[in-house]
Amino acid sequence: MDLSLVIVAVCALVALALIVLYIVFGRSEAAYTLDIGGGAPRAAGGSDNSSETTFSSRLVGLAAVVGGVFVALLGRLWSMQLVSSEEYAQQAESNRTRTVTTAAPRGRILDRNGAEIVANRSSLTVVAESDVSDDEIEMQILANLIGMPRQAVYRKIIDSTEGAQSKRTVSSDVSRRVVAYIGEHPAIFDGVEVLQRSQRSYPQGSLAAHVVGYTGTVTSEQLEASSSDESAVSYQSGDVVGQAGVESVYESVLQGIRGEQTVYVDSNGNVLDTSTTIDPQSGSDVVLTIDSGIQKAAEDALAQAMADTKKRGQDAVGGSVVCLDCTNGEVLAMASAPTFSPSIFVGGIATSDWDSLTSDSSNYPLLNRAISGQYPAASTIKPLTAFAALDNGIATPESGYDCSGWWTGFGEAYGMWCHSKEGHGWLDLQGGITMSCDVVFYEIGKGFSNSDNKEGMQQTFREYGLGSKTGIDLPSESEGRVPDAEWKWNYFTTSSDADREWHPGDYCNISIGQGDMLVTCLQMAQVYESIANRGPVYKPHVLKSVRSSIGDGSVIDYNVTQVSDIQENEAYRTLIEKGLNGVIYDESESQAAHWTSLDVNVSGKTGTGEQTSVGRNVCWMVAYAPVEDPKYVIASNFDGGEWGSTTAMLIVRDVFGYIYGQPDTATTDTSSATQD
Amino acid sequence: MAQEMTGLGTGGGLLGRLGEKVAGAGAPKVSGKTGPLGKLYLSQLIPALLLVLVGVVTIWSASLTISEARFSSHLVGIALGAVLALLVWRYDVRALSGMTTALLVVDCLLMVMPHLPGLGFSAKGMTGWVQIPLIHFRFQPSEPSKLVTIFLMASACAQYNGKIERFADYCKLCATLLLPLGLLVVTDLGTGLVILFTGAVIIICSGAPSRWVIPTIALIVGTVAVVIWASTVDGLPHLLKQYQLKRLMVFLDESIDPTGDGYNLRQAKIAVGSGGLLGKGVGNATQAGNGFLPEAHTDFVFALFAEQFGFVGSVVLLGLFAWMILSTLLLAMRIDNPFSKLVLVGCCGMWTFQVLENIGMCIGIMPITGIPLPFISFGSSSMVTQLVAVGMVQSVWRHRQKAA
Repeated sequence: MDLSLVIVAVCALVALALIVLYIVFGRSEAAYTLDIGGGAPRAAGGSDNSSETTFSSRLVGLAAVVGGVFVALLGRLWSMQLVSSEEYAQQAESNRTRTVTTAAPRGRILDRNGAEIVANRSSLTVVAESDVSDDEIEMQILANLIGMPRQAVYRKIIDSTEGAQSKRTVSSDVSRRVVAYIGEHPAIFDGVEVLQRSQRSYPQGSLAAHVVGYTGTVTSEQLEASSSDESAVSYQSGDVVGQAGVESVYESVLQGIRGEQTVYVDSNGNVLDTSTTIDPQSGSDVVLTIDSGIQKAAEDALAQAMADTKKRGQDAVGGSVVCLDCTNGEVLAMASAPTFSPSIFVGGIATSDWDSLTSDSSNYPLLNRAISGQYPAASTIKPLTAFAALDNGIATPESGYDCSGWWTGFGEAYGMWCHSKEGHGWLDLQGGITMSCDVVFYEIGKGFSNSDNKEGMQQTFREYGLGSKTGIDLPSESEGRVPDAEWKWNYFTTSSDADREWHPGDYCNISIGQGDMLVTCLQMAQVYESIANRGPVYKPHVLKSVRSSIGDGSVIDYNVTQVSDIQENEAYRTLIEKGLNGVIYDESESQAAHWTSLDVNVSGKTGTGEQTSVGRNVCWMVAYAPVEDPKYVIASNFDGGEWGSTTAMLIVRDVFGYIYGQPDTATTDTSSATQD
Repeated sequence: MAQEMTGLGTGGGLLGRLGEKVAGAGAPKVSGKTGPLGKLYLSQLIPALLLVLVGVVTIWSASLTISEARFSSHLVGIALGAVLALLVWRYDVRALSGMTTALLVVDCLLMVMPHLPGLGFSAKGMTGWVQIPLIHFRFQPSEPSKLVTIFLMASACAQYNGKIERFADYCKLCATLLLPLGLLVVTDLGTGLVILFTGAVIIICSGAPSRWVIPTIALIVGTVAVVIWASTVDGLPHLLKQYQLKRLMVFLDESIDPTGDGYNLRQAKIAVGSGGLLGKGVGNATQAGNGFLPEAHTDFVFALFAEQFGFVGSVVLLGLFAWMILSTLLLAMRIDNPFSKLVLVGCCGMWTFQVLENIGMCIGIMPITGIPLPFISFGSSSMVTQLVAVGMVQSVWRHRQKAA
């Protein structure tokens, strides 16, 4: 660069100028005759000559010192203002500029009709550095200002769940008065600041809480994962991210992109001017397949059933409902009880709240029982058992059975009761399904124990999707269990060999959905979807589309995926369908009374299973309608009721009642209810 | 301005006549040049006036963003200083040459004034101020005490006519300097250093043998080292206050006091360095303008100047100082009267040290002390004092032909 050349020239000029000045003035001075006739010195001693030389030599020395001082200053200025000038200029620039990031609002979560289930609102939040906890006085003043006990403020500040370096949220939704007071007294509130945060709001309360999930501050694991993965959203400490449900599964579309603003500030941090701004890009709105109305009906029915059952003295632990559109696998409603309010997670969940949500006594409200709860399928499995029997030649449409209420197919020592101890009398297979006669299915189980295809029943169950995840776009799905000989041997490793072996009685157990058989509510809904569709099964999903953040269009539309198309003999299908239709209208008068008030033709199956390990029943109902052109499949299970017909069936009926606008008018009497 | 001054500068005053009386009636030798300009030593006056002008521009730019930098009060300071300088110029400073005792008393009085009840004035962070009762006129006596010390030392040393031969005389001179200094150093370390340096220069230039001077300097350096060391060790008397210690040491390592003087120093260096070759232009100083540079109109005024005018401006400023100091020194070499000679030497010493200390502090080669940059810094006490010093030099020139 020619800069140094310029500098050398400038310096040379200055030096020259100084020399010229000296010479000019020096010469002009020389023209004067200076005061040489001064009076004699007062002090004795010292001739004039010697004093002159001392003075002048000292003054020359002083001139040298002065020159040295100026050379030193110039040298230093040279190095600072010319050599390192760039570096200092950068520091000056970084001094007065600050980068401020603004959190982007998360995308909303809407139901299929565009109604908001999860939205955003802005909230003023007081946060504090962790070391504020060392200052008793500051905490006391803060506590008085916010209006909470000092001890509570202390607990909030020492809570490091959001990370050791995080600013601790002391209070959300504080008033403007609090904000103003803190702003005006920065000396008192050292380490305390007020942030404007966009927070989740739930316009419909806890509606679909298990589906939408909840948000929380990014965990250190998530931070680490985001920094190591280039393609993932990059998080900052303190970011709010989805921690469950749709919030978690569709985090990447819901999370927006932080805005960045470069501002000029003065030494007190006051913003003087704005340099550049990159606006935050808000997350995309997610449209769910959930229908708020059906969802609400399902939740209300479930809650009603819970309350009623408890009132009858039952140990009602929980329940779930799934409503599918069987033509495409859309989840129209998915409810689980007990439920929770996602809003308690907003701004950080209190430890006491978290403890109560995860304790045994609260029955785990965070658990989405519709996909994570595994229960015996009980009698709802019987259509599949019948298909298996027909397909494997164990039974024919013409097969007949005689039920006396007590079955001794494996000898008197291994006798088993039908749920109706009086017996159903003479039945064919269709009647066996309608009346849910256990004896018919014990016979089928015995048939498989003697068959060449000993696992034919399990094959059918698995074909319909039992024992594996449905692949729904929600986290924490359970796969259930279809037990077989190999599984039993490997599972009960501590039992005797005799107990580990597969017995003929095990066939009978799984033929009526008991024993070690476990299914989820969603799996059963999918089984009946296939029956209703006469084959096709679609992957269940809660995402309908992702809306573009700009404009009204959608950027992602869920592609309906058919996972299987199960082939069955048409005659067999007709038999099963008639059997299931009979359950609704023919099994018992009291049961039919609930359904005749509905104009739509419904088929379905109730069930009541024993959970021997916990000493409670699990009650089931799975149904589809309209029978002629099926659209809806509704499955419900209920942990801790009396019978399917007194709990789950009423829930399913209420949901149908909402869909078709025809509420259930019949009353329920548990003593006369169908006991299966 | 020079014309105005000469216009006023006719006739002798009381002090002038007194001077003539004291000196006796020597026949004045008139030099080659006559007329009003002959009474002015232009090669010192011009750079001094240019420096005042630079100061006016700098303080005006500071007043744009710093409310304490009141431009009008800066101008009032200049006006007051100019009037006093004119008076001093009119009278022959040699009148003071025989008044050692009186000067010593005045000097000591100035030093203790801030501590006298009814006179001392202290507000937030301000020490060493005096407020005259009734008229509420405030000033820093340490500023005029610099000039009184120059007269005192010049008067004391002139007796020896350039040759101090007895060790007792040397000690007496040192004691004369140190007595008032001891009173000041407690409250104002910075000005104390200026006075020490100025007085030492006068003593050395008046012929103190190097065999005494060098051990004295060694003694001072040693004492300072011991004092600093004692102040850092627990149990030993902390003669320096903690903030003074930090100020002394922070230029070596900014991290000693990263939020106080270390911060100030860093900001000053950034201001100077970011000025670059040509500077950011008047009023565009981001460091001082946005409040990052503290005391930008007083102690750190050079940083403000250098940020706005860059290396070129700094060279011009240093050139003006060098011009002024060296021309004064040149005059000192040509003046025969030992008292006048030593007064000029004292002025040179004062200016040199203040320039070195103030600019050196801004660029990190000197400890941080609160002394102003002559003619530039905001503050009337300093401005008046420096202008009177100019008047002293001019007075020496004006009365050069008269016998001492």
